[in-house]
Amino acid sequence: MIRKVAPVIAVLAILAGWQAYTAISGIDSWLLPSPTDVLAAAADQRDSLITHTLATTKLTLLGFTAGVVIGLLVAVVLHLVPLLRAALYPLLVTSQNIPTIAIAPLLVVWLGFGLAPKIVVIVLVCFFPVAVATLDGLGRSDALIADYLLMSGANRRQLFTKLQWPAALPAMFSGLKIAATYSVFGAIISEWLGSDVGIGRYMIIQKSAFRADRMFVAIAIVVLLALAVFGLVLLVEKLTVKGRRSRG
Amino acid sequence: MADTALDITGLSHSYGDLHVLEDISLRVGKGEFVSIVGPSGSGKSTLFHLIGGLLTPATGTIGIDGAHANGRRGLIGYMPQAPALLPWRTIEDNVVLAREIGGAPKRGTRPQARDWLAKVGLDGFARSYPHELSGGMQQRVAFLRALLAGRDLICLDEPFSALDAMLRAEMHRWLLDIWEQDRRSILFVTHNIEEALLLSDTVYVFTRRPATVLERVEVPFERPRRAEVVDDPTFVRLRRRLTDLLTASPR
Ligand SMILES: Nc1ncnc2c1ncn2[C@@H]1O[C@H](COP(=O)(O)OP(=O)(O)O)[C@@H](O)[C@H]1O
Ligand SMILES: [Mg+2]
Repeated sequence: MIRKVAPVIAVLAILAGWQAYTAISGIDSWLLPSPTDVLAAAADQRDSLITHTLATTKLTLLGFTAGVVIGLLVAVVLHLVPLLRAALYPLLVTSQNIPTIAIAPLLVVWLGFGLAPKIVVIVLVCFFPVAVATLDGLGRSDALIADYLLMSGANRRQLFTKLQWPAALPAMFSGLKIAATYSVFGAIISEWLGSDVGIGRYMIIQKSAFRADRMFVAIAIVVLLALAVFGLVLLVEKLTVKGRRSRG
Repeated sequence: MADTALDITGLSHSYGDLHVLEDISLRVGKGEFVSIVGPSGSGKSTLFHLIGGLLTPATGTIGIDGAHANGRRGLIGYMPQAPALLPWRTIEDNVVLAREIGGAPKRGTRPQARDWLAKVGLDGFARSYPHELSGGMQQRVAFLRALLAGRDLICLDEPFSALDAMLRAEMHRWLLDIWEQDRRSILFVTHNIEEALLLSDTVYVFTRRPATVLERVEVPFERPRRAEVVDDPTFVRLRRRLTDLLTASPR
């Protein structure tokens, strides 16, 4: 019980410390607003925040879904075609060393300012953890069970659907959890690049206006959104993954 | 040969340079319980992989139910050395797995699985997951899965080697009871001589690697077999002889 509430107490303690510091030091609130200033800003900006949050949520979910679908497809294809896997896997890993922020402006040049470059940015950050984790999971199923299935007459498709795919689910979900967080940051970055709506856009506007209080509100929303997508993945995992997995 | 479940002639196998099986010939009659005893590492599991079609023999023939079966899969009920249950499937869905691979939908085979689970004292566990069962229970599930594969020939690879002596004795009783009701043809691998003599009609003794058949012994005791048979002087003599054979085995 104490362990469960400990993190909540920690957060409250940090907020209290923050509040006390701003009061005692007399620091200008445009530089460091107190938690109550931030709350007041959130209440004040309610309507516009809802619009921006909805836009970012929609973008995040679209990009996340596209990234996951592509990541899973890549994993399954590379798993089923070992030659392709040998050829492309090193490339896949190396490609992750290219910072997304560096290629994002290029995407705008190629794809314009619409939805497409934003989705592509999110796909780029999401698809890799999903593809690599799933590919890894597909390759790590129990050899003894595989032998059993083959001797019982299983064909390649049955080996995949009855053993390799279900065995890969826990690994796939750990990839999905990473991708969930990345997708929100991907959405924010893509909104910074050029957008007329969204929390990323809102942050840019408030930065130019030196509204630190509103920036804090935006940051809180980003964190909550990331937690929400993460929670969604966790929920689907709870519903899908049954029994206890074999080791690995 | 309608009375032969498994007929192996002149079978040899190597993994690269490692020569594992050398000119093995053996036969399992319909409804017969045959055991193979041999030192560990002699190639017993390899023999099962050959019978199950996972490997194709370089030389020799495997006949199952009178048909040429070299490299053919899906013809036997098989229980591997470890239970190898799918951890994300319930017990009843594990039991029907082999039938499902053969194309039978789960819905049709589950009632039969539940009947058998009840017969082996696992009625409360049909909806449980493998990790909720003890080692002995998992072995029973793996055995049922082999039994319900719907094949006449059942190959059991050291099914009880991981169990303690008490549990093992209980499983022997259990296996004999089931087999005496439901006479399948069984090929049973063990490195335990007493177990082989207690359960089987015929025992093949393998040498160390590369394994050859050192001796074929017919076990004369009546069925159903009593647990006390282990104290019978003939049993004791046979056990002595097989122990000597195995320890003195050349190579
Ligand atoms: N897939 C394999 N590749 C290479 N060597 C193997 C393979 N499987 C088993 N062996 C070797 O073959 C020998 C016989 O193994 P196995 O058939 O498992 O023996 P047993 O079941 O009698 O203990 C052992 O030395 C083992 O290391
Ligand atoms: Mg073995």
